[in-house]
Amino acid sequence: MIKIEAIIQTSKLEAVKDALHEIGVEGMTVLEVRGHGRQKGHTEFYRGREYTVDLIPKIKLETVLPDAIVEKAVQAIVAAARTGKIGDGKIFLSKVEEAIRIRNDERGEGAL
Amino acid sequence: MSTASLNGQLRDLYTEESTRIQQQFTATGDGRAAVQQRTRLVENILRRLWLEIISPEEHGPTGFALVALGGFGRGWLFPHSDVDILFLHASADAEPAFKDSIRRFSQELWDLRMKVSPATRTLSECDRFEAANVEFTISLLDCRYLLGDRDLFDRLHDKIIPKLVLREAQSLVQSLAEVTRSRHAKYGDTVFHLEPNVKDGPGGLRDYNVACWLALISAMDKLRDWPEPRTLFPVSTRKQLDSALEFLMAVRCFLHLRQGRDDNLLLWESQDEAAARQIGLPDADPTDAAGWMRSYFGQARSVYRVCEQLLEEIPAAWSSLYRQFQHWRSRLSNADFSVVDGLIYLQQPNALHDPEMLLRTFHFMAMHGLRLSTTTEYRIEQVLPSLAATPPRGAELWLYLGEILTQPYAADALRAMHALKLLTLLLPELKSIDALVVRDFYHRFTVDEHSFVAIESLHRLRQSDAQWDKRYAELFSELERPELLYLALLLHDIGKGTPSANHVEASLQAAQGCMDRLDLDPSEREIVLFLIGNHLEISATLRRDIFDPETVRTFAEKMETPERLKMLTLLTYADIKAVNPDALTPWKAENVFQLYIGAFNYLNHSVDERLRDDTEDDHLAQIRALVPTAGKKLKVFLEGLPKRYLAAYSATEVLSHVEMAGRLGKDPVQLLLERGRHWFELTLVTPDRPFLFASVAGVLAAWGMNIVKANAFSNQAGVVVDTFYFTDRFRTLELNLQEWERFKRSIIGVLLGESDLDRMLRDRMRAEKNGGTKVKVETKIDFDDSCSSRSTLVQVIAQDRLGLLHRISSSLSHQRCNIEIALIDTEGQMAIDVFYLTSDGQKLDSNQQARVKDALLDGLQGE
Repeated sequence: MIKIEAIIQTSKLEAVKDALHEIGVEGMTVLEVRGHGRQKGHTEFYRGREYTVDLIPKIKLETVLPDAIVEKAVQAIVAAARTGKIGDGKIFLSKVEEAIRIRNDERGEGAL
Repeated sequence: MSTASLNGQLRDLYTEESTRIQQQFTATGDGRAAVQQRTRLVENILRRLWLEIISPEEHGPTGFALVALGGFGRGWLFPHSDVDILFLHASADAEPAFKDSIRRFSQELWDLRMKVSPATRTLSECDRFEAANVEFTISLLDCRYLLGDRDLFDRLHDKIIPKLVLREAQSLVQSLAEVTRSRHAKYGDTVFHLEPNVKDGPGGLRDYNVACWLALISAMDKLRDWPEPRTLFPVSTRKQLDSALEFLMAVRCFLHLRQGRDDNLLLWESQDEAAARQIGLPDADPTDAAGWMRSYFGQARSVYRVCEQLLEEIPAAWSSLYRQFQHWRSRLSNADFSVVDGLIYLQQPNALHDPEMLLRTFHFMAMHGLRLSTTTEYRIEQVLPSLAATPPRGAELWLYLGEILTQPYAADALRAMHALKLLTLLLPELKSIDALVVRDFYHRFTVDEHSFVAIESLHRLRQSDAQWDKRYAELFSELERPELLYLALLLHDIGKGTPSANHVEASLQAAQGCMDRLDLDPSEREIVLFLIGNHLEISATLRRDIFDPETVRTFAEKMETPERLKMLTLLTYADIKAVNPDALTPWKAENVFQLYIGAFNYLNHSVDERLRDDTEDDHLAQIRALVPTAGKKLKVFLEGLPKRYLAAYSATEVLSHVEMAGRLGKDPVQLLLERGRHWFELTLVTPDRPFLFASVAGVLAAWGMNIVKANAFSNQAGVVVDTFYFTDRFRTLELNLQEWERFKRSIIGVLLGESDLDRMLRDRMRAEKNGGTKVKVETKIDFDDSCSSRSTLVQVIAQDRLGLLHRISSSLSHQRCNIEIALIDTEGQMAIDVFYLTSDGQKLDSNQQARVKDALLDGLQGE
């Protein structure tokens, strides 16, 4: 099992969700996050004051999937979230040792 | 009989009887019968165990008794609620002798899977008030004899408890009030949850009990004995509470039996089933879940109201601090209202037949955060039927409603008006959202309560210390017409009560009806409809890339003016905040504000896009439709004016400008002076000339007027339309109508070169000594060449002071700059003035910009 953590633009959440649903990924956790990579911040002047947003709002989407469909899911996220500009985000993959369904103690991929 | 065999028998009895009670409830839906039957069943089991384990006689042994407490004491054992019992000893000496028996007795009950909460106390321990365990003393108020020494129980009931209550009434009531208030706060201080808790939620069974306990303690304090239970409340209140109790008992029984445990949450699935089975409403017509929930909220609202009233009234009788506070509040009494213990009483109850007095009562409530007394509520209920025949409407109603909406406790006043059915009498369109449950995963409250919470959220901005609230509070303080924003919040979701698939469209339609009743003028309507129609726009835009200039441009163009943008930003803030307490995350609050800043800057930096003959604009179409005959004149007048001009003025105002322009041949300076709600407005239509804007700003300063906003626009024919919004610091115009003419003449005199502006200004400066300023604002001057294709933008931020605008605009004119557009704003002591400048019809080059900057700095700092 692999955990996918995708940091994407807020505007791309719906598209990414739809793309994942299409390939059969139903479960995911979505978090409102802030951060920046090379994109850095954004500065506006308002009422004579400098207003800097160092950390840009992003969406972090997390899902744990069976190894077999991870690559397909990554492709789906990339295709849906890409604009080609700086700030499109990143995807991180990591191994997951175990998954347990709290309701019935089911374990392994069946619990996903 | 062996204990094991008895236990087997009791288990069978308990199971069989519990099943029978459940079947009977399923058949009849009678909650009261169910709780009484379970009470008897448990009493029966206790008696048999008592005879087996404690004593061969029901009334023995001496010096030891079994007492029912809490819900069991009241005789209300819900199918899965705890059984509270007290083992009462005459003295501590006898305790060891019964220790083992009590343990066995309790063990047997637990083995029956009965949830027993046993307590063991001596008589003297019961006489002790423990602040850390108020619940025990409170549970004694419902004590009931079960078995054992009757005399011992009578000593507890007839002597100990009345003495304890007399001695500790104040602490008891205060603790009860504290616990209740914190429980209410946990539930957002509202009955109107989409999935309420029928026991602990506001208006639930716990509140019914609190009301009874408060009334009981108060009565015992007066009588020095137990009162007759039926006398605790006035008859009308008693009837309301009885009806609510029957309903809530049925609902709680239903939930316990449905869930198979002590679960009191009325979730959606349970609501569907309760509605289908007509729980609590056996004689009513069948209804859907939303209709059934309305009945629930109606009953819970009565309970909550009584509980809240008692929480307000009774602690006041004992607490000196509270009394001081209430004494201070009683000073609010006036010729119409007297304020006693934070409750409003009418000085002349008959005056309520006058609708104005009725509305003033709620205005008084909204202003001071008071509650209506039971008598006042009763009197209001009495006059409503006669009011229903000819409800107040029109501008007068709007005047009062607008005033109520802007007062700090508006939401409470609206809730009270709604509970008394006055709000729906005045605005029947609100009926469709009365206690309406619309199911989604985010909203916590019913639709009407959501709107009240949203209004409350804006009012609470002023007191908040939270970082984001402060920013929004600052924005709120800049609003020109906050009452329109509040009205939009009140009406923004009324469409949810209609079958329409698009609630925004339906809300717009219903809002029209409300605004007809309130007789709002066209410009007010336009703003309210704009806010309702776009109330999801910011949330939708947040799903785009808000740092993309194209997203900002599209959004900002929909807003048209900074004022609308501010209002919609605040409406969105309040709307999200009212969804549930956690809905407005700092993440979201920042994003909404970021979008606001982007759009605000876009609007201020892109205002000189010119109107063209083929410009497509709804507003323009409206103006053309208003006066089809004005076609050519209108076309000539609008030619060359910026698009922003149309956004800044209503159709009627534009037509008035066209007419003023038409009279210029006869009279070269056309002035229109009007008094608005917050300030005066002076509109000037005249051929452009050097120093024009500076001269008018100078005359206003010379008259001691404080300019808070200004717009300046010019068309291709060189006709300018300048509007100055100012406050009359010395009430010169406000108190002297004849001064209006002299004021206008002095402007015309200066513009025609007949009066000496410098002398006027010197006189004013001499008359006013410069007072110190609380906040020091540093002067800042910034140029922006990129935001317009034909002008250079300069933004001047400076300490607001008398004659500032005259000084700035004169400096600009001295530098041969033509003011194409001026957007003047004031925020506290900070003046924020934006000018679009040209020089000889061109943008300013870098040398000119440097010269202008130096001149402005010299002019502003050389004072």
